[in-house]
Amino acid sequence: MHSIASTTAAGSGHPTSCLSAAELVAALFFYHMRYDPKNPQYHNNDRFILSKGHAAPLLYAAWAEAGFIPPSELLNLRKLTSDLEGHPTPRLPFVDVATGSLGQGLSAGVGMALCARLDNLDYRVYVLLGDGECAEGAVWEAVAMAGRLKLSNLIAIVDVNRLGQSEATAVGHNIEVYQKRFEAFGWRTELIDGHDLEEILEVLDAAGLGDQPLAIIAKTIKGAGVSFLADKDGWHGKPLSKEEAERAIAELQPKACSAEGITIPEPNRLPPPRKYCSSLLSARFL
Amino acid sequence: MIATREAYGNALVRIGAVDRRVCVFDADTKNSTFAIKFFQKYPERAFECYIAEQNMVGVAVGFAARGKVPFASSFACFLTRAYDFIRMAGISRANLKLCGSHAGVSIGEDGPSQMGLEDIAMMRAVPESVVLYPCDAVSTEKLVEQMALRRGICYLRTSRPKTPVIYDNEEDFPIGGAKVLRQSANDKVTVVAAGVTVFEALKAADVLQKEGIGITVIDAYSVKPLARDAILAAARRTNNTVLTVEDHYIEGGLGDAVAGELCNEGVRVYKLGVTEIPHSGKPEELLAKYRIDTAAIVHLVKELVK
Repeated sequence: MHSIASTTAAGSGHPTSCLSAAELVAALFFYHMRYDPKNPQYHNNDRFILSKGHAAPLLYAAWAEAGFIPPSELLNLRKLTSDLEGHPTPRLPFVDVATGSLGQGLSAGVGMALCARLDNLDYRVYVLLGDGECAEGAVWEAVAMAGRLKLSNLIAIVDVNRLGQSEATAVGHNIEVYQKRFEAFGWRTELIDGHDLEEILEVLDAAGLGDQPLAIIAKTIKGAGVSFLADKDGWHGKPLSKEEAERAIAELQPKACSAEGITIPEPNRLPPPRKYCSSLLSARFL
Repeated sequence: MIATREAYGNALVRIGAVDRRVCVFDADTKNSTFAIKFFQKYPERAFECYIAEQNMVGVAVGFAARGKVPFASSFACFLTRAYDFIRMAGISRANLKLCGSHAGVSIGEDGPSQMGLEDIAMMRAVPESVVLYPCDAVSTEKLVEQMALRRGICYLRTSRPKTPVIYDNEEDFPIGGAKVLRQSANDKVTVVAAGVTVFEALKAADVLQKEGIGITVIDAYSVKPLARDAILAAARRTNNTVLTVEDHYIEGGLGDAVAGELCNEGVRVYKLGVTEIPHSGKPEELLAKYRIDTAAIVHLVKELVK
């Protein structure tokens, strides 16, 4: 609902691309990921990368519901005076890497997951990809590296909403195609209904187990929850008019609940990584 | 004689010993870029990314986001493949260090597909980037240190051939600096070079001196930010005449950097650079054929002082 309201206020944006991933992001931010919502840069927070950067309003809504940004700020989306830009940039403290050029988020996720291993930290890295961007070759370079290095602390979530910008994707809703591709590179996969919160949480519960990275391939509906948007071509990157937004929010309202009162799981308080070589530092004291 | 690419590997090992944040990435070229030296010494902080340059840059950006100082290397030409990742790293203001080896026609026999000839243009265009192009081992090692200390995207361009060591170990190489290597009272032209062409410019100075023509020679090891004031001061003493010479396509490289900085100062900038698709051959043959060697500099200086 925030995504619809903010893109309507901005007069541009991608509300339907937010709706397909709303449950996925809600599950991650309010039931699953371990992080300190007041300190997005805490070194052992779970990391979240929105590889499909055009769903930025959804990311901002999540951080608003988590209490890091005031909900009223969401209506300043895409304005020169707000850092809630059209696509996420690290001007925002909860954004580690800029996204929006599709197919790049998973590579950064591989880097961060490897860093966790190097630094003996137990944070996990969650990367939300769109199905459209899976046509980028670089996605599969990253998938191959994660599989080779058995990055079990890396979780890719593919929002398979079937529709790209100008037409349906080449793979459509045949989520088994993505499953075969990920498995070929040594990933564990789970196929789910991306709008079923219980199903999402069940597969997330097993994230980090085993010695493979996990790909959650979620069949979703672009524009889900709004009768005149759902699964309809021609709505990519289009905000709703004021009147349409009111109708959409009225349809979404009965199922919506706020994150108020929800306790976000805390990260383990582990020591931060050392910067300088201990042997040299101690040598200096000799 | 030591190649700047080898000096890069030596520098990584040296700073890697002190600074645990330094991590190194390569795309199956580590024995050519000499990143292999770090791989052998610190395998736990070295990551082979195989021939997937886009992902290598993306992974390095992920490391930078977690407080590391990632150095990623490949041939300069192949980093162009990752340019969208580099562009996005620019938007992320990532603390990313890139090294492109085998720059220019001076690689010789491998031919144009292996020659990095547009990398300076590419890296200069990234906002807030630093572009460094040292000519010898000492300046390379010092500049790798500077890269590690500087926050943001830094690019180091290294060369394949071995080159003489011309600097003392005690010299400093700040980012944004340049070295005036030759200068005398009656110089006619200021020649600005970097990398392998520094040696061509020095040889040209010797040849011209015998004929009674003095030239100022500047090593512009920091292409961006450029040592504008130092070059301008030299130009003022040579009748506002500057000649740039570089092993890079003529568009977007050192010459354009110098011209861009000095165009409003009444300085005439003449450029020597590669203007056509090069051929395989011996390095010295190629420098001559594409007119970025000693003879080309001598010839143009004589034209300019006529």
